[in-house]
Amino acid sequence: MVSQFGFVLLFMIAGIFLVLLVLGIARILRPSRPNPEKNAIYESGEETEGTAHVSFNLRFYIVALIFILFDVELVLLFPWASVFGDKALFDDTKGVWAIYAGIEMFIFVFVLALGLVYAWKKGHLDWIKPSQEETNFKSPVPKELYKDINEKYA
Amino acid sequence: MYPIIVFSVSGLLMLFLGLSVNKKSLLPYNLLFMLVGLASNFLDWNAPGLYFNGMLEISNPIILVQWVLIFAAILVSGISSRQFDDTHAYPAEYYAIMQFALVGALIMVSFQNLLMLFVGLEILSVGLYVLTGSDKRNLRGNEAAIKYFLMGSFATGIFLFGVAMFYGATGSFDISSGNSVANNLLEGKMFFWLGMVFIFIGLLFKISAAPFHFWTADVYQGAPTVFSAFMATIVKTAVIFALFRLAAYSFNLEYENWSKFLVIIIGLSMVIGNVTAVFQTNFKRVLAFSSISQAGFMLLSLIGLGAQSYGNLGFYSLSYALATISAFGVFLVISSNTIVEGRPSENINVFDGLFSRNPDLAIILLISMLSLAGIPLTSGFWSKFFVLNDAAAKGYFWILILGVLMSAVSLYYYFNPIRASFKKTDLGKIEISSLSKYTLYVCAALTILFGIAPNILRSLF
Amino acid sequence: MFESSIDRIPDVFMKVPLVNFVLLATMLFVIGIVGVLIRKNAIIIFMSIELMLNAVNMLLIAFSSYKSDPNGQIFVFFIMAVAAAEVAVGLAIIVMIFRNIKTIDISILNKLRG
Repeated sequence: MVSQFGFVLLFMIAGIFLVLLVLGIARILRPSRPNPEKNAIYESGEETEGTAHVSFNLRFYIVALIFILFDVELVLLFPWASVFGDKALFDDTKGVWAIYAGIEMFIFVFVLALGLVYAWKKGHLDWIKPSQEETNFKSPVPKELYKDINEKYA
Repeated sequence: MYPIIVFSVSGLLMLFLGLSVNKKSLLPYNLLFMLVGLASNFLDWNAPGLYFNGMLEISNPIILVQWVLIFAAILVSGISSRQFDDTHAYPAEYYAIMQFALVGALIMVSFQNLLMLFVGLEILSVGLYVLTGSDKRNLRGNEAAIKYFLMGSFATGIFLFGVAMFYGATGSFDISSGNSVANNLLEGKMFFWLGMVFIFIGLLFKISAAPFHFWTADVYQGAPTVFSAFMATIVKTAVIFALFRLAAYSFNLEYENWSKFLVIIIGLSMVIGNVTAVFQTNFKRVLAFSSISQAGFMLLSLIGLGAQSYGNLGFYSLSYALATISAFGVFLVISSNTIVEGRPSENINVFDGLFSRNPDLAIILLISMLSLAGIPLTSGFWSKFFVLNDAAAKGYFWILILGVLMSAVSLYYYFNPIRASFKKTDLGKIEISSLSKYTLYVCAALTILFGIAPNILRSLF
Repeated sequence: MFESSIDRIPDVFMKVPLVNFVLLATMLFVIGIVGVLIRKNAIIIFMSIELMLNAVNMLLIAFSSYKSDPNGQIFVFFIMAVAAAEVAVGLAIIVMIFRNIKTIDISILNKLRG
């Protein structure tokens, strides 16, 4: 008889074995005719450009920060949920328990929601669009021509 | 208990008031909320007991300490008037975070369960990380914020490891369960000792006692001055009372073991704090090192741990808060009027000729410096006297001699600003808002009052 | 075989001596401390602090299972929630510094001197 940790080991071995098996079968069956198009990195049809080690726009971090706060605070609802459905407590108090615990949870979520409202009101959720700069370049083509074409093929 | 609820709600109100109300009228709202909290604290008077399923303890001495904390917060708000007028300041958020941090401090002095201590400590600390970095464009503020944040969360990690060990030894987070462990088997005892050591180290980090003090000067210097004052008074008071509760309820049977080490930490704090302060030219750094040595003196009451120690510590906290806030307040007014190289000057020479410019400020500075140094007729003398007396009663005479010796050293650097203020100068009078003026008057008057009659406060505890 | 339900979990834990959990948690904790002390990159220091907190979480859960006392696990929930708030503030401070000096190497930050 294997112990419970033995099952974990068995699952790991079986997982590795299955992956190797599937990849091995594919390798035996498929024809191998590489070309540069096929070897290119798949990026949803876009041509890849530059390295992957670039800084992302800082605004992603602000949104991520707000997300992580509200995401993880909900972990405090787990202990609440484990006692909320307690039948003995419910019967003992003739249902008052459910109202009491429910209201407490709503207060908790309400305070979190207030935080979200505040962040929204302060505009931290808005994606600031970069302002377009006017260039000094004088084009011989008048602007109206571009406008006409844009409207024609709009 | 009531002020915790009041400040939790009023902090949220403050945030949303900031969206609709003019910037300048936020300070009166803040003071109003704080006064409501102060008043609500007396609803608990003479109703001692455990609240919230044994999470918080309320008793009259604890209410008095909470009163000290709220009062210090009111004084800090008082000296903050006109400081947040420029366009990049968000006073609503600062005041809201101050109120939330105050909630943490109030929890920390009345906890009965280590869970509450942890939550209170974190509410207080996380708020202060934000306040330290609140001046976003100032590189010094940024540096102070990251240093404070990294050191603070490091200390929290150490503290939590201690809590886990404490739990492993006693099977409970209740602070009074520590006493039952003495007859456990050796393994439990080892966990208990480890827990005790780590909890002590984590909290000594927060109070900036000597081997764990290296972040203090940088953080006090880089943080906006109002928040340095907040940190120096409220954080220190809250953490020392948390330590006192742990020492008195959880670790009192191990007194013989930890007191020997704590007394060394106290000696180190006094020596390092006072001797390093002598060489500083930046006034905020001077106050930071002075706060390290004052932390040493406060810890003496843990060594004392007698019937009177709680009251002595409360008295020490209040007199230290009054003196420090008035020192920071006077400095704040003068420094923001002395711009050198585009920034407010923080050098001690900003006090040059203060007596001929603003005699009232010079006298307040004089009183606060005398009180910090522990000269008779100020409350600082009595507070030092009481805690040293307490420690001497337990037989630690050498720390008494060291304490007196180090007070003599501290005279040198506390007299630097006073000496500067009597220099001759042709600079004119400084305009000061009436709110901060009266706040400083109150601080100085109370310092003298408690210096003449210390027992009107001490007998309350 | 698979029907062993949630209340059997403490039995499984009991097969591993408590001291193993304590040693593993202590090792993780020490790795965290060393990371805080020797690394220069603010994010890595930050990760080391999180490692310390998670070592504590593991220790609390192990003790909680061995003592069949749920308090320890509630404490872990609180540590997780508070650590998230701390992470948010810490990352905000790091972003603020990055905006000003375009790096998060903390050895560059040495403006504050006596």
